[in-house]
Amino acid sequence: MFALSNCRLLLQALSRQQVTPSVRAVQCTRSLTSSQQEPPKKDDMPIKLENPYKQPKKTCILCNITVDFKNVQLLSQFISPHTGRVYGRHITGLCGQKQREVSKAIKKARSMGFMSVTLKDPQFIKDPDICGNTL
Amino acid sequence: MPRYELCLILKAMQRPETAAVLRRTVETLFERGAIVRGLESLGDRRLPYKISKHDGRHTHGGYFTIDFHSSPNIVSGLLDHLERDIDVLRPTVLKKDIDISKAQCCGPAPEKSKHATFQ
Repeated sequence: MFALSNCRLLLQALSRQQVTPSVRAVQCTRSLTSSQQEPPKKDDMPIKLENPYKQPKKTCILCNITVDFKNVQLLSQFISPHTGRVYGRHITGLCGQKQREVSKAIKKARSMGFMSVTLKDPQFIKDPDICGNTL
Repeated sequence: MPRYELCLILKAMQRPETAAVLRRTVETLFERGAIVRGLESLGDRRLPYKISKHDGRHTHGGYFTIDFHSSPNIVSGLLDHLERDIDVLRPTVLKKDIDISKAQCCGPAPEKSKHATFQ
């Protein structure tokens, strides 16, 4: 019991003594070793970077392209070559806005006599397929 | 004054006759108080489907566009007048809005295949 209490007292005394000199010692060592006198905080803080793993923003194929009813070749790429029907969004892969614009432009062109209703103009049949999911 | 676009499909004719039709169309526009901005030719093409107009079935036509500013009152009168013109196959007047630049064109692309795919 006495031994234990002695130990505790000793520990307390030692700890009290040790706190102040250790801090001073650390400060002294740091000031001696570091050549440039930098504040200690900057070594550990993370550097501000732009995310290096950032993916480019997903865009649809008609991003930044104006859709016009006069551009029959472009519009013909979104219709079926067999029936002339407008492909749905799950086939063309366009975003909502562009799909609506294309669909409206096709209907406009059809009613104004620019584009055929039931077929795809034969000169445009050999155009490359830009819709992702046509069978 | 709002800006309109007149898309005109004319009968396939010789050059002087086409010129005469365009001339009288533009003069009609002037009479009705429109300010014509410009006239463009989109060429003589084969029509996408046969158009039956003014006692005739047409397969070829000349495409023209007239850009003009006018008051909205004259549009219906103008269309009426053009329908009666025997050399005009299909007149259409459209409003021409200057494209407002959209800030964000596309959001994330929609999920393409919604039907079940066996893998």
